[in-house]
This record gives sequence, structure tokens and C-alpha cells, in this order.
Amino acid sequence: MVLQLHVWGPAFGLPSIDAECIAAIAYLAQTVSPADYQLIQSSPSAVPTQHLPALYNPSSSTWTSGFSSITTHLLAHPPSPPQKQKQPTTPHPPTTTTTTTQTADSTAYTAFLTAHAAPLLSLSLYVSSANYSTTTRPAYSALLPLPLPWTEPPALRAAHARRAAPLGLSALDTDSVRARERAERDRLAAEGWVTVPEGLQEKKGVGAALSAEQKMRIRLEGVAAGVLDVLGEVEWEGQGLAVRCLAFGYLVLMLVPEVPRPWLREVMEGRYGGLCEFVRGFRGEVFPEGRMLPWVEEGQDVSAVAVGMRFVRGVLGEVPLVGEYWSQWWTARKKREVLASRGAKVGSSGDLLLFLGAGLGLTAMGAGAFFYRGLPPFGEAVQVWRKPVVSLSSFGAAGAMFSGALYGID
Amino acid sequence: MPSISSAAPSWRKMQIPRPLQQLFDQFPLQTYEPNHLPERSHHLTSNDLPTLYVFSTDSDARLGLPSFNPGCLKWQTLLRLANLDFRTLPSTNHASPTGSLPFLLPPRTSPTTAPLPIPASNLLAYAQRQQQQQQQQPKTNSTSSTNLDPDLPPRSQAYLSLVNLSLRNAWLYALYLDPAHTALLQRLYIGPSSSSRGVRAALLYQLRRAAAEQIATGAGGKIVSLAPVTSAEGIDEDAVYRLAGEALDALASLLSESGTGWFFGQERPGVFDAALFSYTHLMMEYMPGEGSGGEGAGAALGRMVRDAGDGELARHRERVLKTAWPGWDGYRR
Repeated sequence: MVLQLHVWGPAFGLPSIDAECIAAIAYLAQTVSPADYQLIQSSPSAVPTQHLPALYNPSSSTWTSGFSSITTHLLAHPPSPPQKQKQPTTPHPPTTTTTTTQTADSTAYTAFLTAHAAPLLSLSLYVSSANYSTTTRPAYSALLPLPLPWTEPPALRAAHARRAAPLGLSALDTDSVRARERAERDRLAAEGWVTVPEGLQEKKGVGAALSAEQKMRIRLEGVAAGVLDVLGEVEWEGQGLAVRCLAFGYLVLMLVPEVPRPWLREVMEGRYGGLCEFVRGFRGEVFPEGRMLPWVEEGQDVSAVAVGMRFVRGVLGEVPLVGEYWSQWWTARKKREVLASRGAKVGSSGDLLLFLGAGLGLTAMGAGAFFYRGLPPFGEAVQVWRKPVVSLSSFGAAGAMFSGALYGID
Repeated sequence: MPSISSAAPSWRKMQIPRPLQQLFDQFPLQTYEPNHLPERSHHLTSNDLPTLYVFSTDSDARLGLPSFNPGCLKWQTLLRLANLDFRTLPSTNHASPTGSLPFLLPPRTSPTTAPLPIPASNLLAYAQRQQQQQQQQPKTNSTSSTNLDPDLPPRSQAYLSLVNLSLRNAWLYALYLDPAHTALLQRLYIGPSSSSRGVRAALLYQLRRAAAEQIATGAGGKIVSLAPVTSAEGIDEDAVYRLAGEALDALASLLSESGTGWFFGQERPGVFDAALFSYTHLMMEYMPGEGSGGEGAGAALGRMVRDAGDGELARHRERVLKTAWPGWDGYRR
């Protein structure tokens, strides 16, 4: 049986668009022979873990997601060891003869990359409006089948923005800054405040001509230096394989994509030559030009219906009020699926009860409506209106006067 | 008797009838003396010691015992390690100028100007300033016990992220999202806030939501929609506890490599020791995981700390306690 690694598809000339996916591909490429694993281009809405990279191991039929979980899983369940002995060409078997210091360092740098390099990368590729709209969004649009680019990249961008929020540089997202300003202007106009016309407003200085990245260049460099100073000190060649893969995943995405505001790449190339060298060396070694990765076209699996369902689920998640409950329910359902695949005992889902309750409720409402429509109208069953006979006496005093005047009768 | 017509401003369309005017001229019938401030306000506001506001209980705060919130405990420990005099008061996030605890209120120096509160991000600089002042006064012979600004190697940043990411996520998951610790959560955070059943339920819901959001965001978890993951379902429990276990092992091996008993070969405990202690102490204190084997992994964070590196971290915790709270053994639960 071959391992199935579900990852985001390739972009920027790299095997994947996501750092952890690149790391997972690099790890598998170095530890497992190409005949023993498949790469499947996917997106979080298509896998039960709802998170990429996700590894499906058919021999134990388990789903694992997240880079560190995958490496742990592979160490615990080495894929087909006898075959590996037959093929001594497999470049690096997972290093088991590591010192405790090295293991500790690997753990620490893995946590550091997750905690600090990831927000930095999010800032560059997702939060920055110019970079996102010019580079990242088109790359996702090329990866996803048609209706999905309308739902998934915005959700991804929101998630990355949340990740980068602690850095306090959300002003790079000039789209939302402008939207806020526009909303403020509209509000003032709606409330009847007199606004100064555009042409008469105070002359804008140099600041207006600068992009958000240029204005915040010093802070951005400070943030980048805080992360890269630590990473630049590391002797990557002496580190464990897993942490080297992860570092490569994050650093290569800082270095390679062609973005319109390349502050991160400039900082790296300007001051951290060692890191750039590590990235280039690792790339040349693991992903040389002509290397074919075992991608699998799963054209037969991705039917239009499945894509449509993913799109509908994405849209449902954005419905106000209902969307949150919907995505909670869906996440819980998928989690049970993953837990069941691991053989964990899963409590009854309660879905049946939910559906039964909802069905009963709807039936009751329908029956109530039907019963109500069947009720006779309130009040008299038959209302009869008789046309009153028009005579002079029905005009009151005037009629009486006329009748007396005409006929002389009281 | 004031003349009414002349005093009436132009906007008053109708003159007040004379009997009513006479009646209201009698007011106020009696003016009471202003109330005195409550007794405790004097003790709470005029003290010549700086006050650290933390999450704590009344009785613990009076004795200066460790807070039950890791963020607060870190700074409380650091100030105690630095031998600075301060007292603690229980408080909530609503009282803080930054919206989060802890913060420090320096003593009032003049009766007219109120001191500016110091948020947690500036506490280290404050402690360093205070320490320098203490050292400049030769009469205080209390040896300053900690080096607050040591030159830690860059890899200390990496190990610090183990504390701030892996251990924090495990603590958040265990306390807020693990149903095994609902009673503890109720006792620590929810019970003191309100006695109303509805408010408590709402608070519990909000806390859980915020904790799930924190964990999912920090670890780059599932992406289901524009909104963040807001329930425990979206979090891979096994991965959270596994990462915490790995982090504890790594920290234990780092500590044993250091050799001095404190991190990075320092002679005295410092910021890093305080940061780690704030989690290991709480995990061992509130989630000891003793005896009960069947409570699930969540109950065993304390056991994970005890087992890490043959009890290296547990011994570290004892050392910090002995330095910062010399009388701790007397208060042990």
C-alpha cells in the first residue's frame, strides 16, 4: 500500500504553496522511496482533517494532519521497512542516532518556526494587500477548480491575518484600511455632516505617495530581524531532518515567490546570506530541476458534484449567525471521522437525534400550517351583505324635508 | 421671595405657579454629610508599596501566594526573584488599563498626581530600574538575587517559544476545553466573577471559545471559514498534548545540560526560569494527575512535568519556589 499525502498544489516553481506542505513533501522525498507514496493535490475542504498537509496511511487507514504529527506518525509506522533494505539508495533514513541535545534543539526550533516564522510569512504573502492580490491569490486561483477560488482563498487569508495579528502590522492590509475609511466617510455623509470636498482637502505629503510597506519598512525589518537573527545562528546541517525540512518550507517561501513588495526577501538577501545559502543548497539537493515527484491526478475523484458540495459548504460557513453553528457542526462531524479512523472510541454523534428533532420540528410546523389553512375564517361562517333600499327616508332630516316638500306628507 | 416674572428666562413659556415655587424653594430639605470611603479603600489605595494586580483569591493575594494565571505568575515570580517589595491584589481584566492582567501600580508619591500603571510588557524594564536603584543605595545589604538582563544565547528564543506555544496550548486546552477540568475552571475563573447562573454559563462559553480560537490560531489549525475555529472540535487534542510532552522533554534536557540548576548556565534564576515555572508550577499544582489513571490525558499534565527528564523540571520548580517563596512549604495544600 502506498502512503497518500494530501497537500496544497505547486506554485512559484515550488512543490507546494504552503510551508508545512513543502516541508512534508521534502521529508517524504528524503525518507520514503517514490514508489511508496503519492502526492495528491487537495485543499482543506476535501480532506476529513480539514487541515493540510494530511497523510492517509492505507495500511492502518488513519488520517494524520500537520507536519509534526506526520513525522511522528512516520517514525512510529515506518512505511514498508523490508523494501527499504532492498533499496539502499534511499538518501537519508530517519536519523535515529541523535543526541538528546539535538532532539531538544529540533523540538525547540520546530516550535520557534511555528510560533514566529509562520506569522512573518503570513505578513508577507497574505496580509500585505499588494502581495496577496498580485501573487498569492492568482496562485490559489490556478490551483483550485472553479467555484472554490471564491470561498477558500479569502478564508485562508483571514486565517493568516489572525496568525499575524500579534505582530501588530495589520495596516499592511491596505484593502481593509481603505474600506474602513470609506465606511467612515459614508457614515459621516449619511449623518449629514458637511465634508470637505476631495479637492480642497489638505495637501497630502510624502506619506501619501509611499506604500504601506515603505512607511512601515523599519518596523517590518525589526520584526523580520527578530525571527531571522535566531534562525541565522543555527547550524542547519547539524540539525535533525524534520526540522531542516520545516525550516526550508518557511524560508523558501520567504525567498522565492516574486512579489511586488519584496521586503522580506530583501532583508534575507541583504543580511542573512547563510540562510539563503541553506535554502538554495537544500533545494538543489532535494528538489533538483528534473526531479519528478509522484503526483497523482485524481481526476476521477474530483467530480463536479464534489467540488460543488465543497463550494456550498464554504458559502454556508459565511452565512451570518447560522454559518458559525454550521461550521462547528461540520468540524465536529469530520473530527469524529478522523478519530474513528484511528480506532478511538467515538461517542454517538447525536446527528441522528439532531436530524430527528429538526425533522419532527419541521413536520410539526407543516402540520400546523396545514391545520391553520384548513380552519374556517374567524367569526361568522357566512357573512351576508344586503344592499340597503335607497329611499328618501334614508337621507335623514334632509330626506324628510324633501319628501315633505315634494309630496306634502309628513 | 424672588420675583418670578423677571427671573424667568425667555424659553420658559409658562410661569411656575406660586405655591409650587414656594414648595420647591424649601429644597433641599436637609443635606447629608458625604459618606466616608470604605475602610478598605484606604488600605487599597494608599500604601507605600507598589501593587501588582493579578488573578488570585483574596486569601492567597494577602499572603502573596502564587497566582493561578500563568501570565500573572510569570511576572509575580520574576519580581519576587528580583527581591523587590510589592504586594498583590486580586483583580480582573476589566480593571486593567491594557485589558489584561497583570499590571503594577507604583506607590503614590504626591497626593495630587496618580501614578501611571505599568503594563506587563514594561514590567521587566521597571524591575531593572528598581534593581539599579537598590544597588545604588549601599545601606540595603539585601543581595539582589537575580540577574534580570543576562545575555542569553539566540537559541533561548527558540526554547522560550516552547514555553509560549506548546506549554501554553496544552494549559489552555487542559483547563478550558477538557471537560475533566470544568470544575477547576469554574472555581478559578467563573465562580468569583458572578453568582448568577446565566452570567456564569455565558462566561464559560466565551472563555472556551476564546481558548479554542487561541490554540487554533497559534498552531495554524483548521480553516473552515472566514471565522476562526471556535470549539474544541476543531483542535487536535492528541497533537497538543504530544507537543507539550516533547517540549517538556526538550526543556528538561536543556536544563540538565546547563549544569547550574538554572537555564543557560546562569548562576541565578532569571526571566526564562520564571516563564517556565509559571506553567510547570500550575500544572503540578492544579493537575497533579495522581492516582486517577482513567481520567484521560488532560488530567496528567502534572504527571508529564514530573516525568520529564527524570524529574528535572519538578526539581527546578522546587528550587524556584524555595528562592521566591521561602515559606511555601507552610502553605502547601
